[in-house]
Amino acid sequence: MNATTTKRFQLTPFQTWLGILALFMVAGVVAGVLIFFNGLYLTNLNDLVPWGLWITVDLSAIALSAGAFLLSAAVYLLGLKQYQPLARTAVFIGLIGYSMAMLMLLLDIGRPDRFWHAMVFWNLHSPLWEVTMCVILYFSVLVMEVAPIFGQAEWFQKRWPGLSHKLEKVHHIAPVLAIAGLGLSMLHQSSLGATYGIMKARPIWYRPGMAVLFIVSAMAAGPALTLLASSLSARFTRRAVVNDKLIDGISYFIGWVLAAYLYLRFWDMLAMSYTVEPGRTEGLRVLTRGQLAFNFWIGEMLLGVVVPMIILLSGRLRRYPILRTTALFLVVGGLVAYRWDTNIVGLTVTMTSLPSQLAPLYTTYTPSLIEWVTALGVIAYGLMAFTLGVRYLNVVDHRESLEAVVTEKPFSFFGSSVF
Amino acid sequence: MSTTNSLGRRNFIKLALVGSAAVIGAQALPKNHHSEAEGDSPHRWGMVIDLEKCIGCNYCTLACKAHNDIAPDVAWNKLFETGEINGKMHYMPVPCQQCEHAPCVDACPVKATYHRADGIVMMDYDRCIGCRYCEVACPYGVRSFNWKEFDGENPLVPMWGTPEVERRPRGVVEKCSLCYQRIDRGLAQGLTPGVDEEATPACVVACPTGARVFGDLNDPESPVNKLLEENHITRLREDLGTEPRVYYIHAHFDKKSEEVCG
Repeated sequence: MNATTTKRFQLTPFQTWLGILALFMVAGVVAGVLIFFNGLYLTNLNDLVPWGLWITVDLSAIALSAGAFLLSAAVYLLGLKQYQPLARTAVFIGLIGYSMAMLMLLLDIGRPDRFWHAMVFWNLHSPLWEVTMCVILYFSVLVMEVAPIFGQAEWFQKRWPGLSHKLEKVHHIAPVLAIAGLGLSMLHQSSLGATYGIMKARPIWYRPGMAVLFIVSAMAAGPALTLLASSLSARFTRRAVVNDKLIDGISYFIGWVLAAYLYLRFWDMLAMSYTVEPGRTEGLRVLTRGQLAFNFWIGEMLLGVVVPMIILLSGRLRRYPILRTTALFLVVGGLVAYRWDTNIVGLTVTMTSLPSQLAPLYTTYTPSLIEWVTALGVIAYGLMAFTLGVRYLNVVDHRESLEAVVTEKPFSFFGSSVF
Repeated sequence: MSTTNSLGRRNFIKLALVGSAAVIGAQALPKNHHSEAEGDSPHRWGMVIDLEKCIGCNYCTLACKAHNDIAPDVAWNKLFETGEINGKMHYMPVPCQQCEHAPCVDACPVKATYHRADGIVMMDYDRCIGCRYCEVACPYGVRSFNWKEFDGENPLVPMWGTPEVERRPRGVVEKCSLCYQRIDRGLAQGLTPGVDEEATPACVVACPTGARVFGDLNDPESPVNKLLEENHITRLREDLGTEPRVYYIHAHFDKKSEEVCG
């Protein structure tokens, strides 16, 4: 009797993992409810720093979902069909990433009941409006891109054969979805940078390169997360099967994107030091020599770009799975550090508006416990969704059998084949 | 094959039509004040603040907080100490600058902040989603988010005035509206804003030294235009091109010499 009880309560590693995630999610929900009913004064945000940890989660979740549009475009527009299994993983991660961002935003805005206002009350001048619309539209695209994954799952087919057949058929418009996804992503991944870039009240943000830097960094880190999640899944469960060739190919691509990003970032930073400009110069100092210096030099540049760039561009180093996986992890971390630093450096250095006396003022921001608990809750939700996807939807599977689905029929739209 | 395709096409077109109709319908729904173009009004309200006359008593802020029913930890009008000149402390009150090219109006994703026909930068508290992008965008730091519900009594009422506008809910951004309610009510009664107290912003009326002057920038005879002609005028952060409609008269070393100083 005793023996059986112990056996029954023996948790598998999988169950333990889900249990831990569930705990974080429950804590996040409790904290979220507290904020919904009491207000945002429970956070460490204030009128000087109105955006903080949560906006970093939003920006990072969206940027790290960029694998979806890139890999879909590669497979369905460039015809690199062999990467189809990776695109499958990427769109699934994309769906999770965008839902994480929307969840976090719902908590961040003061009136979550009015989240739909941007759809009805348009301000064409606002990059944030454009981002909101693109995120909503792209989320719909992702839902359709993920539909065949559900349609192909065995348990789904058994339970709802009719529906699963319909969902599977959505696959035929994959190229259209890829075009829509590419367009929408190019727009909002860049505009998220422009959201900061147009702020003339914040001199360190007010520069033309922000949009470009945001999308290029997302183009490196988005696929990096797709590969990282795939490799780690294959390491922990037999349900995930990866093809090393595919991982290697995209890793090499990421290495080049990192090189491009490093180049753009270098000149962007250097150009900001050409003249002394009140607010910008001080911001630059905070970033390179002040409280954000470690984040910037070590987190963003050395570990986030230079080290993984060397590993991913070198065929010899890239061959070691442990090095490659570490590099991919560093790219993801570097992106989060970049988004965090960007937000904080612009908000913690503010300008006085006294007529002949443009003086910068400094403030600080450290997220409160409740901000951390809710943010970790959202991240735990993302990990949970991906884990379940690997387990029950076969989202990481690089075996040949799946590729057949793509090549089976040429794409046709409006009666004639366009691709 | 071709039949299925043509059916698919027809359905697709139908769907597209329904979709665009829904979007157009949604656009047409909110027919309200936001559709008014700026400049449709004969008036263009502005304010002049004389920094030489300001004694830093903060009456303006207190009257503002009572008339607009503002929470104790929020202020639409902010007062800064700017330093001593000739042994006399100088101050600078900063209300919303009512920019002609307001960064907040461009930033707001839902047009909850907008220009009224007479140029006042307004807030639609029923529309604001509380994203705080306008706060990030404002170069003057005059916007406040309602982090907490203001449900207690206003300690400044009735000493400094009685509320004339609805209290804002938690979760929206609020700011100075040039007491539009006083202007509108006054105009309806045939009064002249800036001349008749009932039609003039509460901060202007409360100022004991006459440091604040309000009026119509379109009216050459208005008190604001006279001051603008006679004095050295500055606006805050003119380098940003926001074209504020709040003007400042410099504090002087010595009244007679008219030497300009910050």
